[in-house]
Amino acid sequence: MSDFARQQAEFQRGILDGDDTVLAEILDSPREKREVLFGVYRYAYGSRLVEAMRNDHELLHLYLGDEMFNEMGHAYVKARPSAHPNLRWFSQGLPQFLKSANPYSDHPVLSDLAALEKALNDAFDAAEGKVVELTDMAGFAPEAWSDLKFQPHPSASRLDIATNAAAIWLALKNDETPPDATGLQQPAHLMIWRHDVTPMFRELSAEEAMMWDEATNGIPFGVLCEMLATYDDPDSAAGRGAGYLHGWITAGLLTDVSVGS
Amino acid sequence: MNVASRLPDSSAAALADRPSTSAKPSFLGFGLGLRHQHYEEILGGNPPIDWFEVISENYMLPGGQPLRTLDRICERYPVVMHGVSMSIASTAPPNFEYLQALKDLARRVEPKWISDHLCWTGVHGKNLHDLLPIPYTREALDHVVSRVQLVQDFLGRAIVLENVSTYVQFSNSEMTEWEFLSELSRRSGCWLLFDVNNVYVSAFNHGYDPLTFLNGIPADRVVQFHMAGHSHMGTHIIDTHDHPVCEDVWELYAAALKRFGRVSTMIERDDDIPPLDELLLEVARTREMAGQVLLAGSRAE
Repeated sequence: MSDFARQQAEFQRGILDGDDTVLAEILDSPREKREVLFGVYRYAYGSRLVEAMRNDHELLHLYLGDEMFNEMGHAYVKARPSAHPNLRWFSQGLPQFLKSANPYSDHPVLSDLAALEKALNDAFDAAEGKVVELTDMAGFAPEAWSDLKFQPHPSASRLDIATNAAAIWLALKNDETPPDATGLQQPAHLMIWRHDVTPMFRELSAEEAMMWDEATNGIPFGVLCEMLATYDDPDSAAGRGAGYLHGWITAGLLTDVSVGS
Repeated sequence: MNVASRLPDSSAAALADRPSTSAKPSFLGFGLGLRHQHYEEILGGNPPIDWFEVISENYMLPGGQPLRTLDRICERYPVVMHGVSMSIASTAPPNFEYLQALKDLARRVEPKWISDHLCWTGVHGKNLHDLLPIPYTREALDHVVSRVQLVQDFLGRAIVLENVSTYVQFSNSEMTEWEFLSELSRRSGCWLLFDVNNVYVSAFNHGYDPLTFLNGIPADRVVQFHMAGHSHMGTHIIDTHDHPVCEDVWELYAAALKRFGRVSTMIERDDDIPPLDELLLEVARTREMAGQVLLAGSRAE
């Protein structure tokens, strides 16, 4: 290892781990001791990353308050140092961290709230994609419909949550007092996507969520309707399927519809 | 026979200094750092700004509003790309995925130039998201020269490097920062972004005269000035970019104009972002001051 490489490794350890070895190679300034000057880098490291987390998770910050968010943020910084050159991706692991690390894992609403904010952030700057219009559907002959396959818009994603984090998100967004955190009897099925430039989400029924998940796995419309028939009244399954499809298209959730083989 | 003597001539040449011969970028006028808080006002009003500098990483994204806005800005104004994560002085292997994303963005933006900082941001697979200082040694200079050459070859253009604000100095430095920058520019052919505020901050922190730094930089290598604010802590100054430009830095700007002449200048504000009008006043002041100083200089001649 070159002397330059050794020095950089020590400098980094000094910031990340509090190791003072590098101070032996740093000078006092005319007005200040080296420990204080090196401390500028130590302080900036944690505070910059926690600030990035605050920007990405405004409502989680609002929910936890400054002190708890900072404590949580510094724990995340310690547990998961950044490996990506773009700060945009630093908070990506936060939902998983909150789900698995004590004491946050005792409050599953935190992980759910972070996951919802992450999904909205991801929708905001997701890749562009063509949006299927209702008029595009007129080109398919009625007998082709059972073979139709669907391609989701790049900004569309699904999230299942086990708490009332969506209600808490809405209350915080509207400057209202959030409800007490509770677990749900059945998971809530959320759809997140971008409409023009605005990220949005809505809750799906279990049936619609199943249809979306299977549609995006490449299952054709005819089979989707057969699957819907097992969820509720079989006679109205095709109508329900067509209704969900209509909703997806008007919301801009599909980027392509094609007749699959 | 040693390994070096077995190298074909072309390989040996590849290891030598290969300064880029790219033409010096032309003068753009007086600009501002593009920040999302001002998107609407800029697109709605076409404010009198000659050019914008954009933070490259803010647009190294798959899509959405940031890139759509950037496209519209590029239709109306000259744009320069300024990055914070090239980590040109890192001893870790270069991040080619990052460089490819930078190159892809440049293809979209067609920037007048691409700049970053003389610094490193991490080693061993970690990124500290800070502009970390280096020792000014011959070993570090050789390393950075070779990295700049590699990046310039990869991007297919000369890059522009900025002096950063530093809070510490290394005991093993063998030259000054301005000597290091001058040699780096001469040997690699990279251009220099002279951050007036950073010179002021580093000079205060390390106890030297900012004019010594200024006079040590070759005038023909500087293609851009940065002007920014900082936070004074009494015994040291932190480069926070969250205040207006202070009077001492305006004074140093006048000295920089006298030495470097007409140079593309911009106001760089990254935190506590004020209304656009407030920043436009600072942009107007860079323009007025340049007019006065350069006019006085031409009269004196």
